[in-house]
Amino acid sequence: MKMPYFGRYLAIAITMALAGVAIPIQIVRVQSSPEVAGITGKGAYVWSTFYPARGEIYDRNGHLLAGNKTVYEVGVDLTVNPDVQTIALAAQMALDMDPAEVLKKMTDVPEGTQYVVLEDFVALDKADQLMKLQEDARSDPSGRNLDALHFKAHLMRSYPENDLASTVLGFVTEDNHGYLGVEEKYDNVMAGIPVTILTPADPRRATEYPQIPPGQTLILTIDREIQASVENILDSALASTGSASGTIIVMDPRTGEILAMSSTPRMNLNDYQSVSEIFPGETPFNRAISEAYEPGSVFKILTMSAALDSGTVTPDTIFLDTGSITVGGNTIYNWDRGAWGYQDMTGCLAHSLNVCLAWVSTQMGNDTFYSYMQRFGIGHPTGIDLAGEDPGRLKLPGDSDWYPVDLGTNAFGQGVSATPLQMVMAASALANDGKMVYPHVLYAQLRDGHQSNMSPQVVGTPISPETAHTISEMLANALESESSDAIIPGYRIAGKTGTAQIPTSSGYDENDINASFIGWGPLDNPQFLTYVWLEKPQTNRAASVVAAPIFKQVIEKLIVLMNIPPDNVRLANTGQ
Amino acid sequence: MNNVSQIVQKVRQAPWRVQRQWVGLFLLGLVLVAMVAGIYLNITVRATVAGREIQMLQSNIFNDVPDITDNRRTNADLETQLAGLSSVESMQQRAEALGFQPASPDEMTYVIVPGYTSRKAVDMSTPGSNQPQPSLILPEYTESLLDWITHRLASSVTTGAQP
Repeated sequence: MKMPYFGRYLAIAITMALAGVAIPIQIVRVQSSPEVAGITGKGAYVWSTFYPARGEIYDRNGHLLAGNKTVYEVGVDLTVNPDVQTIALAAQMALDMDPAEVLKKMTDVPEGTQYVVLEDFVALDKADQLMKLQEDARSDPSGRNLDALHFKAHLMRSYPENDLASTVLGFVTEDNHGYLGVEEKYDNVMAGIPVTILTPADPRRATEYPQIPPGQTLILTIDREIQASVENILDSALASTGSASGTIIVMDPRTGEILAMSSTPRMNLNDYQSVSEIFPGETPFNRAISEAYEPGSVFKILTMSAALDSGTVTPDTIFLDTGSITVGGNTIYNWDRGAWGYQDMTGCLAHSLNVCLAWVSTQMGNDTFYSYMQRFGIGHPTGIDLAGEDPGRLKLPGDSDWYPVDLGTNAFGQGVSATPLQMVMAASALANDGKMVYPHVLYAQLRDGHQSNMSPQVVGTPISPETAHTISEMLANALESESSDAIIPGYRIAGKTGTAQIPTSSGYDENDINASFIGWGPLDNPQFLTYVWLEKPQTNRAASVVAAPIFKQVIEKLIVLMNIPPDNVRLANTGQ
Repeated sequence: MNNVSQIVQKVRQAPWRVQRQWVGLFLLGLVLVAMVAGIYLNITVRATVAGREIQMLQSNIFNDVPDITDNRRTNADLETQLAGLSSVESMQQRAEALGFQPASPDEMTYVIVPGYTSRKAVDMSTPGSNQPQPSLILPEYTESLLDWITHRLASSVTTGAQP
């Protein structure tokens, strides 16, 4: 018996069977086809390089000193038949590029080139202008076409404060390498590590990208308000004294934290290409650490400290100044070639008597004197975390260029060279109970959101606490007895001027001097240690006239910015 | 009775009835295959769409949509712009425009405030930053069916072991 509608049932069954078989076959066929495999198969991977953002730099109060800004790489896709004439014209309008050069870049390329870079590190405003031209061209009926232009955004270093603390920060070039200052010293940790991975194009194979940690962010000990004030004071000082250059350092003598460090010249770090113009030849980038000089009489604080600590003299030791002294067969005179008669050691410091200090050093002898100078770190780099430090020079007995007279001249800072920072580090022992601290600009590092603060480091104890208190008191008394221009009403300060001759290849310069001043305070609890150096001032040849007032200006700012009350208020509050 | 039994037997053994049974079984199998294929397609499409979204969010190498990298770059750029707007020079100019002037020591008046502590350097630590960051992609997007079953079995065993 024949089944009704059998043919129809059979046709439906066969059709559905064919469809049921064909669909899976088609799925498998499509997925395994060469076309799809080329796009999504195992061979379809893209090499992707992820560049971590360079770590930022902040001052001690969280103000950004070095950050990153968006710039663009502008390129042309040569595979889409670019309208080279229009692109050249647009590049001229927006990027100030030579159209002929742009044309050459696009046409004079090896066969098979798919993409050329017209210009990299294009500023946001210029890139925006070019993008607008591209957008306008899309609706332009004349047929102009800028669709082949491609914009790839990336970051580059930017310094929002421009030249503030420029000699401390250093700069970063377009290849993301740091040069000089903090940028060079901490280049490795701030740059981070680029990671290149194979990225599958197939969405079904999407994997989690490695989390590229950005470069470490640094927090400096620098206080931008103090830094800005110091730079303003220094610039004014150079203008008013006609000095060739200058340096000012402010450090916390208890911790070694550099609160401000300025020297001239400075540069806008966003225009680092001008570095060779601003610092021609051998001009040091940061004189505070890179230019050793004969500091002159500021060095006497170290000589006197050594003599007091070794027991060679006491503050009450009397010296008869006859105006000259012979050391190693050479005669040494005072700065004014005068004889000052009987002087105690405070008087020797107050009047800055070379003869007296030369006598003190000869009383100590070579071994004691040079041993103390080495303990103060003279002749060795401080190790500050800035690139380009000069170690200075301390000639020692036995060196080929050391002569017996050096014992006398070294005592008042001639014949020995030190950087301003070395002097600051050495003087920190006098201001900090005999403990000499490691000067540094790094306050903390930020990694994965966790802040690691640097601990203050004591690098030596060249003198006893008693000696440190004694020399500080003597220096404060010396300033007060001379009515120094460095004195701040209401605050006791210890300090010393330094007027130094400048050595040349044919002896000492007859015309120019270096004027310096070093001081710290408040005397009972020093919170700042400041060094001022003016190179070749033209208005006066005495540091007490040109450098001491600059020191005072700096301290007046520090008192306000650091909230340091006058001695009577502070001591009353502490019950002393 | 025998006649009725014979009729029932004949109907049961009718060729068209046997064929219809086979066709029914075949169609049932077909429906099952179609269901499996449909589920497979649905899961594949959802996984692909999710993967594409992940790719788009992670990097713009496949598209022009702003991604994590773009957002981080934008944040860095805005932070630098903000720093420029609040730079020392800008703030001084704004302060002067508002009629302020730098204070000198003799203009300062100090008041003793019990418990006052002087200004400390900044602490930029992010709260909870020491915790390891969890994976951004949920396991549902990466684990296989076997992984899922194993995971469920393991978790149920662990749960069962708890007092």
